[in-house]
Amino acid sequence: MKILKTLIAVFFLLFIFSDKTVYAMHITEGILPTEWVITWFAVSVPFLAIGIYKVKRKKKAVHSYLPLAGMLGAAVFVFSCFPIPVVALNGMATSHPCGTGMSAILLGPFVSVLVAGIALLIQALFLAHGGLTTLGGNIFSMGILGSFSGFFAFKIAQRCGMSLFWCGFFAGVISDLFTYLGTSIELGLLVVKNGGSFFRATAEIFGVFMMTSQGVLCVVEGVVVGFIMVFVYKKRPDILQQLGIKTNAKSV
Amino acid sequence: MGFLHHTFTDRFAQRDNWLTRIDVRVKLIYVVSLLAINLWAKNVSVSLSFLFLSFAFLLTIKISPLVMVKNMALPMLFAVMMLVVKGLHEGENEWVSFSVAGYVMALKKEGLCSGLQTGGKILGGVSLVVLFALTTTISQLNAGLKWLRMPNTVLELMSFMYRYIFQLLDEVSAIWYAQRARLGHASWLKTIKSFGVLGGMLIIRAVERAERTSEAMYARGYKGGCILTCHLKPLGRNEYICFSGIVFLLPLLLYAGNIKIW
Repeated sequence: MKILKTLIAVFFLLFIFSDKTVYAMHITEGILPTEWVITWFAVSVPFLAIGIYKVKRKKKAVHSYLPLAGMLGAAVFVFSCFPIPVVALNGMATSHPCGTGMSAILLGPFVSVLVAGIALLIQALFLAHGGLTTLGGNIFSMGILGSFSGFFAFKIAQRCGMSLFWCGFFAGVISDLFTYLGTSIELGLLVVKNGGSFFRATAEIFGVFMMTSQGVLCVVEGVVVGFIMVFVYKKRPDILQQLGIKTNAKSV
Repeated sequence: MGFLHHTFTDRFAQRDNWLTRIDVRVKLIYVVSLLAINLWAKNVSVSLSFLFLSFAFLLTIKISPLVMVKNMALPMLFAVMMLVVKGLHEGENEWVSFSVAGYVMALKKEGLCSGLQTGGKILGGVSLVVLFALTTTISQLNAGLKWLRMPNTVLELMSFMYRYIFQLLDEVSAIWYAQRARLGHASWLKTIKSFGVLGGMLIIRAVERAERTSEAMYARGYKGGCILTCHLKPLGRNEYICFSGIVFLLPLLLYAGNIKIW
């Protein structure tokens, strides 16, 4: 339980003392022990492999698919650099969105995992956010959980007949929530070795995430993704059609 | 512009010096092996030696330690937090205690040791990654990954993403300034709406650019396949010497990493 308290205290202090930009979804280099490094890489590899297969298949069918996926990947990377202002415990802080919900809507969940993996590699190397040994863990939380939850949230919202704004909103919110849940699970699993309770640790770390700026960020990212979807639909509806996103004109 | 400060540059990797001249395959093998040692080592001095060596190597190529510190700011904060919080919460034997506003805080020996171990691993690992990133361009990295049998699709996608991140950042930066100048960020709600418009424009421009790029590439005869702008020379004597260097270095590091200090 001491480890659990330690982890919670680390996150809490980090959020309180960081008054500029908050980066919380990346697990930094050196935090995960070897067994978990291997486990998270093993979990992520099948998803990446399917993502590669899907890109290859689409590339054969549509010549322009690869530049499109690369460009949208770059756009989502840039989107994830937006300094979104969030009112949090530490006053007016800025945090950056995950962007995986949006990339899952635009590219599909498996390709989104691949794009997130590449984005995380670039971030780990050139921004020192995350790490190379924690890449598998970060792909699991941001790429896999973020993309699939965002994608299914969008689809379910569409089935429920919601407007495009709300579909985008739920995709943004749910993908963020699942990303933080994934990070909490990964950190929560670390206390099991020391006899701590996994569920309690995960719940408490997730609680700290939500109580600080990240809880607000989830909602803000949802609103921004909703606005983006509506803006693209109004200005260039053909883009959404080209990407295979079904829209109902009445519901926007 | 705020968010551009968090982005990156490869201007150091474009310079000509002894570290950028080292073959990317050698650098990749070293970084991966040393990261594995860093994770496994029970002795914090191994991780800290990686940190000091990385700083020393960068000094030899005239990269200011401030650049390294700036790159490592967040991991450093994590490492210090780990040290302090573990010191306060873990262990029984009190090392030093002090009073803050009537609240007695005691740093424990075991907690400090454990915090130093974790913090050392963070700093050692990140410093190795930063050293690699500051001396390797993305084209070299792609060529190295290709040598390691990374699928072409991943390399192509990574090349595209990296190539256009900078252009899209420039475009977003221009729109962001324009929005700000026209009171688009006057209130919190307006800021969020402006971000929606900015994100939407980003998607539209990315798709338009993708269409133009694919047409231009098709016109130049591109039919798919890996786009490498950097080709690796066959492994030479220097590279084999470097590879054999790690064969001698690894057992030493494994031995040193196995010695428990506490």
